[in-house]
Amino acid sequence: MTFDPRTVAEVVDACAAVIVVLGVLLAATRSIGRSIWMVALQSAFVGLAALTVGLGTGTTHLVFGGLLAIGAKGIVVPLVLGLILRRSSVRVERHLLVGPRVLLVAAVAIVFASASAADDVSSAAGVAASRVLPAAISQVLMGLLIVMTRRKALSLVVGLLVFENGIALTAFSLSYGMPLVVELGILFDVLIAVVVAWIYARRMLDVFGSTSTDELRSLRG
Amino acid sequence: MIELLVLLVIGAPAAAGVAAWFADARRAPWLAAAGLGASIVAGIVLAVLVFASGPIRAFDGLVAIDAFGAYMLVLVLVVAGIALAGSPAHIAHEMHTGGLRPHDAGRYYALLVWFAAGLAAVPLLDNLGLVWVGIEATTIVSALLVGFSRTPQAIEAAWKYLILGSIGIGFALLGTLLVYASSVGVLGEGVLGETHDALAWTRLVSIAPALDPAFVRLAFIFALAGYGTKAGLAPFHTWLPDAHSQAPSPISAMLSGAALAVSLYALARFHLIATGTLGPAFSSTLLVVFGLFSLAVALPFIVAQSDLKRLLAYSSIEHLGLAALALGFGGHLALLGFTLHLASHGLAKSTAFLSAGQLVAERGTRRIGRLGGSLARSPADGRALLVAALVLAGLPPSGIFVAELAILFGGVATGWGLAAGLAALILALAVAGLLFHVVRIAVGPAGRRVESGPASPRPSIAHAFLLTVPLTVVVVAGLWTPSPLAAAFDQVVRVLGGGGG
Repeated sequence: MTFDPRTVAEVVDACAAVIVVLGVLLAATRSIGRSIWMVALQSAFVGLAALTVGLGTGTTHLVFGGLLAIGAKGIVVPLVLGLILRRSSVRVERHLLVGPRVLLVAAVAIVFASASAADDVSSAAGVAASRVLPAAISQVLMGLLIVMTRRKALSLVVGLLVFENGIALTAFSLSYGMPLVVELGILFDVLIAVVVAWIYARRMLDVFGSTSTDELRSLRG
Repeated sequence: MIELLVLLVIGAPAAAGVAAWFADARRAPWLAAAGLGASIVAGIVLAVLVFASGPIRAFDGLVAIDAFGAYMLVLVLVVAGIALAGSPAHIAHEMHTGGLRPHDAGRYYALLVWFAAGLAAVPLLDNLGLVWVGIEATTIVSALLVGFSRTPQAIEAAWKYLILGSIGIGFALLGTLLVYASSVGVLGEGVLGETHDALAWTRLVSIAPALDPAFVRLAFIFALAGYGTKAGLAPFHTWLPDAHSQAPSPISAMLSGAALAVSLYALARFHLIATGTLGPAFSSTLLVVFGLFSLAVALPFIVAQSDLKRLLAYSSIEHLGLAALALGFGGHLALLGFTLHLASHGLAKSTAFLSAGQLVAERGTRRIGRLGGSLARSPADGRALLVAALVLAGLPPSGIFVAELAILFGGVATGWGLAAGLAALILALAVAGLLFHVVRIAVGPAGRRVESGPASPRPSIAHAFLLTVPLTVVVVAGLWTPSPLAAAFDQVVRVLGGGGG
């Protein structure tokens, strides 16, 4: 089964647009619960883009990779995060480093900066999906923005996942994905990393009574 | 035959870990020792084969071991062996003081040998993507070990390690991707993604001149940030003093002696590819700059340190900075220094952490001011820590002294006179700082709070042996290198110099 190349390009571009919009919303939201399902949706769209190109070009490893990404990062990881959230008393990121309005502006600035930065590279290298690379770079930076401005353990994990989505999308736009062995390994590592983060978030709950990294300030020098 | 050995290196500790996880505190160390022992023997046999008859390939090209890989494999396994041998004393103490629950012992040994298996896998794999997967896997396993004691500080350190490590390693993945993208035009779009040798570093090095330079330049920068984070290069080092000081001491030994070296190994592979594509200037300059910066950043924290394990951690940042500097200098002499330096540092630092761990456990504090007089109170550990610290400071005779001289003179020879001079100055100041602290610990006053606890039990002969042998090797390496070892080092240098196997 193969699709018309133009349909494939349209679907992928639409996915990229949704991913970018979700990234901006993720950067600006205070609700941890909402950020979990938004990052799940974003991961699913990354997987969907890979799946579409895989079906369109008949590349089996992309189909596999896309399905796995949807299953692992779109469903399993958010469920694990949701479990921690239910045990935690903190549902809202109360102390953002800067306010949500500033974050919104910063996020939009990141999107525009990525678009202009990616222009040079993609024209130099002749990247196939022209709108995917700027989206990818913007999500890598968006993940960093989220990690830098949040204090709650769960929000940090969400930031890492956005960062990961950006990298996955970069992989896919630069070279139609990595070899399947490598993609499997990466997905497996991400899953385990989230599980370990879960373990530590639980320990933080037990020891500090909260999952706020504000408590983590004793190690200096 | 070779396939079997490779399987044994990774599979034996992995399987032993599964068994140890469910075993009780008495059996778990023996299971771990059996698995890791088999791995060490197989690893040494593989290394001897490589040094005797050239690079090995196996598993349809998925595994490729050249002299550099074989060297790294043996280093990692030996350091892991030392850490495992030092573990029973640590676990016994933790159990005694109630820091660990009975079933924790099995999990500790399981995680330790899995950590070792991950570290050993990295230098075997001929695929930059899988090298990344291996290093990320070791990050995750070791994050569990860093927080093993569940104290608030340990949880804080582990959390920082996990988050900063994941971001850092994410950059390394971007670097890997960009190398992959740079090879698209060369390897042909059709085969990409279908074969695993698309990311094989053996192929990438051989086709390096044809890679897309714009991509390779970016790739090296990302790899430097990513693997530099894991190797503790400043300014990406902020997780390291926390993680290395809060981890159980045998794990600190593995993190400092082996995990940092493996990350530098991955960076060195990128350096070889970048050198092939862009010429030596680009990546060498970056390595020299970040190496020097690490030396400079570590210095004040070494001089003004009040915590013994953090002192050793900052010393690791200093030494890895020096190793990065040596890679950047290039040239036969500096690279020979690099080879001798990483091995000597691995042995000396792991001994230092083990003896420091014992001292800290006996005295119940890691504050340098309160650990005074350790030479009299616990002679075996006090002596080992003193000698290890003297060696780590770079005093003669030791492998580290010879290595530092070789690196600095090598730097002058390859035209990096100013950088070598600055490095020499920083190293000299660091010697003074380190000596001040270790002399205080060895013969200084015991501090205000004099404990009236029971005298420490006499250390076992095995423990004394464990502390003495690696240090003796490092000291002797400063005076005399057996000729087979010298020949092996020469082969490693040839790989690092870009001359192939």
